Amino acid sequence: MNETIRVLVVDDEDAFRDNMTDLLNRQENIQASSAPSGEAALEELARESYDVILLDMLMPGLNAHGTMRAMQERGLGGAVIVLTGHASVDDAVGMINLGAYDYLLKPCTTKEIVQKITWAREWQKLQAPVG
Amino acid sequence: MSDSTRHVPNGAERLLAQYGLPLALLACLAAAPLLPGAGPVLLGLAAALATGITVRRLLDRNRAACGERTLLSEQLVQSQKLAVLGELSSGIAHEINTPLAIIDQEVELLELDCGEDVPAQTRERLEKRFRSIRSQVHRCADITHGMLQMVRKAAPVRQPAALPELCEDMALLAEREAMRREVRILRDYEKGLPEVDTDPPQLKQVVLNLLVNAVQALGPGGTVRLGVRRESAASVLIEVRDDGPGIPEQNLDKIFNPFFTTKPPGQGTGLGLSVCLGIVDRLGGTLGAANGPKGGAVFTVRLPVQTTNSGPGPGKEREEAS
Repeated sequence: MNETIRVLVVDDEDAFRDNMTDLLNRQENIQASSAPSGEAALEELARESYDVILLDMLMPGLNAHGTMRAMQERGLGGAVIVLTGHASVDDAVGMINLGAYDYLLKPCTTKEIVQKITWAREWQKLQAPVG
Repeated sequence: MSDSTRHVPNGAERLLAQYGLPLALLACLAAAPLLPGAGPVLLGLAAALATGITVRRLLDRNRAACGERTLLSEQLVQSQKLAVLGELSSGIAHEINTPLAIIDQEVELLELDCGEDVPAQTRERLEKRFRSIRSQVHRCADITHGMLQMVRKAAPVRQPAALPELCEDMALLAEREAMRREVRILRDYEKGLPEVDTDPPQLKQVVLNLLVNAVQALGPGGTVRLGVRRESAASVLIEVRDDGPGIPEQNLDKIFNPFFTTKPPGQGTGLGLSVCLGIVDRLGGTLGAANGPKGGAVFTVRLPVQTTNSGPGPGKEREEAS
């Protein structure tokens, strides 16, 4: 129950990314790292394995959509939660169709994010092949 | 254009307009044998009458057409205005949400850092200030989320709906607020109405918004009248009428603008009616605001019973960029 969930925060906004990583690291069972872009996230995911990836929707270079596609092509795992300042049902549907676990609109509370991370981890475990 | 400014012909005028020309000619021809020598004069009179009636009929038609054109162009301007403001709002909302999220995070981190080494009295004072900052952040977030809701393209999911039942559900919801304010909600639903081809959840949002606005405009003892009636074979009206102070004349053309509100700061985003206008527009209807003859505001949602598959109005085509 008290396993540590490894989270990668991917956001081009330095202050948001650093604060989010700090707030998550203050949680008992979360160990968070960060990446400033989709490209950097792919490199980090190739080096280390993560359970949950918090992915900003709009980033220069690879956006959430492109990053997620590249993750799938390269077989890089982790449940994706998309975070965005832009509400669009179509975007959300597009990301979930692509395989994202959920979608959160900024600003949202750390409590909401932690809850989604916990659920995403549970969901990810259910997706993993048995044996 | 309000109903009060539209000329409604009475029975005699309608008869004259429809049969005036043949009647005038017949009268003159019948009178001609009785008044020998007056034939040319009578014929001239008949011609003049006929010309007058025809000109009057043409003027009436022209006036009605001008009225419709004015109404249509007003709606078009309003739609285009909304579209431009919507584009702007969407961009602003997007840019503002991330800084808001950062402010929220900073306050949360400050709260966490404000640990045991801070004297209890100081901590209490600081916590009060943190709560205030966070509540203002959430207030801004409500506005930006409202702005995004306004421009979000939500294509209607149509299904037949009984409007009296739909309106009654919303009246029951609004009644909680109404009872607290000692306001009555009276219902007047016409019987035997056809079902309307619409998007029930979106239309419910409109009706609830209009009802809550009406209730909030009234003081104790006020009355809101919610009516549903058939306007013609092709259209049905939902009307929300209150006996409050009404809408000041100078605000009538502004109330559907995003951010226009007469509520005190912090109590209204001014987006509700523009969201409603967008929804009704997508449903193929119109939303109008006026003052009743005896005062009070009247909001009218006019909906087609059956909708054709015409596209959304101007400004409704935009798709959110990802």
